[in-house]
Amino acid sequence: VAVLEKNTMISLAENAVKAALNMGAVEAEAYVYEGQASNIGIELGQISKTNRIIDRGLGIRVVANKAIGFAYTNIVEAAEAVEKPVASALSAARVSKPDPDWNGLPQKKPYANTAKTFDKKIVALSSEDLVQIAATMLDAAGQVDKRVFPIEGGVGSGYISTAIANSNGITGFDKGTVIECSVATLAKENNTVTPVCFEFNAARNYDLDPAWVGKQAAKMAVSALKTKPVETKSGKVILTQFALQELLAYTLINAIRADSVQRDQSPFKGKLGEKVASENLTIYDDGLFVGGLRTGAFDGEGVPHQKTAVIEKGVLRNFLYDNYSAKKDGKESTGNASRAGYLSTPGIDTTNFHIMPGNKSSGEMLSEVDDGLIVYYLQGAHSSNPVSGEFSVVATPAWKIKNGEITHCSRGVMLAGNIFELVKNISVVGDNERQMGQLISPWLQVENVRVIGQ
Amino acid sequence: LKGQITLKDLLTKINNTATQKFGAQYAEARAQKLYKTALTLKEERVEAAKQGIENGVAIRVLVNGAWGFASVGSLDSVILEGAVSDACRMAKLASARLKTPIKLAAVKVVEDRVLSKPKKNPADIQMEEKIKTALGVNKASLGFDKRIKSCSVDYFDLTGSSFFVSSEGSSIEQDKLYVWARITASAQNEGIFTFSKEEIGSTKGYELFDEQTSEALGEKVAKRAIEQLNAKSPRGGKFPVVLGPSVVGVFVHEAFGHLAEADLALSGGVLANNFGKKIGSNLVTFYDDGTIEGAFGTFKYDDEGVPSHKTLLIKDGVVSGLMHNRETAQKFNAEPTGNARAEDFRVEPIIRMRCTYMAPRDQTFEELIEDVKSGYYFKSFRGGQANLDGTFQVGIQEGYEIENGEIGAPVRNASISGNTLETLHQVSGVGKDFLLDPGRCGKGQTAFISDGGPHIRISKVVVGGSA
Repeated sequence: VAVLEKNTMISLAENAVKAALNMGAVEAEAYVYEGQASNIGIELGQISKTNRIIDRGLGIRVVANKAIGFAYTNIVEAAEAVEKPVASALSAARVSKPDPDWNGLPQKKPYANTAKTFDKKIVALSSEDLVQIAATMLDAAGQVDKRVFPIEGGVGSGYISTAIANSNGITGFDKGTVIECSVATLAKENNTVTPVCFEFNAARNYDLDPAWVGKQAAKMAVSALKTKPVETKSGKVILTQFALQELLAYTLINAIRADSVQRDQSPFKGKLGEKVASENLTIYDDGLFVGGLRTGAFDGEGVPHQKTAVIEKGVLRNFLYDNYSAKKDGKESTGNASRAGYLSTPGIDTTNFHIMPGNKSSGEMLSEVDDGLIVYYLQGAHSSNPVSGEFSVVATPAWKIKNGEITHCSRGVMLAGNIFELVKNISVVGDNERQMGQLISPWLQVENVRVIGQ
Repeated sequence: LKGQITLKDLLTKINNTATQKFGAQYAEARAQKLYKTALTLKEERVEAAKQGIENGVAIRVLVNGAWGFASVGSLDSVILEGAVSDACRMAKLASARLKTPIKLAAVKVVEDRVLSKPKKNPADIQMEEKIKTALGVNKASLGFDKRIKSCSVDYFDLTGSSFFVSSEGSSIEQDKLYVWARITASAQNEGIFTFSKEEIGSTKGYELFDEQTSEALGEKVAKRAIEQLNAKSPRGGKFPVVLGPSVVGVFVHEAFGHLAEADLALSGGVLANNFGKKIGSNLVTFYDDGTIEGAFGTFKYDDEGVPSHKTLLIKDGVVSGLMHNRETAQKFNAEPTGNARAEDFRVEPIIRMRCTYMAPRDQTFEELIEDVKSGYYFKSFRGGQANLDGTFQVGIQEGYEIENGEIGAPVRNASISGNTLETLHQVSGVGKDFLLDPGRCGKGQTAFISDGGPHIRISKVVVGGSA
């Protein structure tokens, strides 16, 4: 199925807005989404499945008497198909409760140029190419060690485009590509099974190293085979990007969302300009990061993406705003309205959450730890307290560092603490920046982390 | 509008194209016509009242032993012919490198029409009424105590029907009906922040809100957030614990359920070598049951057209069964159990749990705690996660100390962790009560599930605490 062209996408959005205004909406906004993806799947050590998914639809938000209605449909082919969701959104708004704080949809602003978010090489990839990438990754994993079993994974290429229009004259269109390959492995010896070890590449441009991914995932699993317990105490822990992505998503990121602050759900409330973290920590939310997985011209409300200082040298600088929360505080949106395609209304989320790198290499970081742990994967981070930032998670697994070297792996090690204390105890920042979902970060070394051993 | 006959004919035609034109060994087509209503309320503000329509078709084919899958949000026959051609072509390509071609266990051909019979169909309830109910929860929670700072209510219902037609001749149309709500509240006092959540859900109908009133729901969530303001951090280390039914449910789901999903067992999960072996105390009996009327995890046929069973997973400590789809059942020479579920037309069916629980025994709550000198009572969970090596983690949102057989001071933000194969042997007491909770499980896709059980005692498990 051919992708919808820019003009088609924009006129779908504009026509929906027009229809809503004609039918009595005071304000209206339409968001059109199209995603086309091809995937080659690995299961039980072999390439055994494929899929091709085409998903498109329209979400419409209308305002009547300061009350908000929203409706969506995934039937967009016929012009009359748009009238139904528009009517549905309006009827929802008319019976809903007015919001006295509603202060209008965003106004039109110019968009910046984004770089490296679309690669026609990805669009042109054939299924044969994708199968070949999967085979390269799988073969590389298999060659590391006989005890390794690649349990699942795959290769996927995707094209996503969005169009937005609102009754304040905003119109926007953006398109992008993404390609990823990943493999999850475990190693088995006698009756020992390791935890699942995972590695991946994901990029907006055709830039993959499937052999590295396969090899790395396999090596991790092998190194997790032999385990020894560690003792219960507080000490140094190096958190890699996998661990940081999990932990921050359910704790720190909640605290910098303006809606959390406005709703008394953030310990950062009233602390702008104050030191809240180690001076080693600087974070930007950067919706324009070159080649970023969440880079785009505009956010889910058509507000331009930007680069926002969140924490600079430990000092809290800004919260992340969408249009609604910004107007409530008399501020400008920071372009952080996020949407799940056409299915949802916008909500505040990070774009690319960029923890700035330091100058220590990963080798130097390890060599300077006399006694500590390095943690890749975490289990249970989503059960952290999203308001207080308290966490109690399992490292699956953790590796012990002794006198500057990784000595052995340990299972069932728990880490417990509070994210707002943890960020004050960041002592070393690596130079090994890596992108993982919304996070772009180097390794971080944290002091005095509570470790519960077996 | 296309009627049922036309849609069945359309799906049959797609399957025929796959088998006759492209040489597929097997083909199935699923279609859905679903209507969703959703609400989000925050502090008595209706963020948006939402309504949506989702129509689409999923086609899955087996060609030379490899799967091909295509999904389109359309019921147009030309687009569907294109999709089935894509699916067959890609499957054929992937099959070139197969070592072990996929085969399917045989199943009976089914022709059925499954009707939902709600007392109150959510599709017939006006939006105003739904907003009023959600507002009632919001008000009750915020009004409970002035230290409650925020309360969110997320509500959704889903109605409509799904169609399944296979090249083997099965043809099933099932009504879909789900009603669900999640309530979260936060409290704050003197620099201490607490958080509490509760979920309710049913496949019966909107009468769910007659069984649990708005006021009771709102107060329950608020009360927990307030009580935690005075709670302290637990000590980390190994302790005896008594778990409430909601924590037991998540424990069964995470610590055992995922390992008993046959795809994960085949992937090298720790149950693979333990079939028929005793891995827990005599008190441990678990089921995964898709037949409990009205439960959130219940349905009549899975997304491979297989009737949903009551599946015994572990009996008196001995591993007795796994959850299967047709592919894994063939590998294990077992019966498919009806556990193949797809979230919607966008994704392929995979093995998922339904209502997973521990069977009750004969002890009272008092008997379970009376021998605990120093330990914890964990009443309500926040989340949990499993790993194939048997490591589990369950985060706790409501817990108390047990000192000398009595419930003591509240603790907050604890979690328990351990290895399934060790921990199930530590189950030393099982209560006679029983509760089933609705939940949502993530395994790439979201599935609506239930889990539960009685109160139980575990003699020794690692408690993660920061004190």
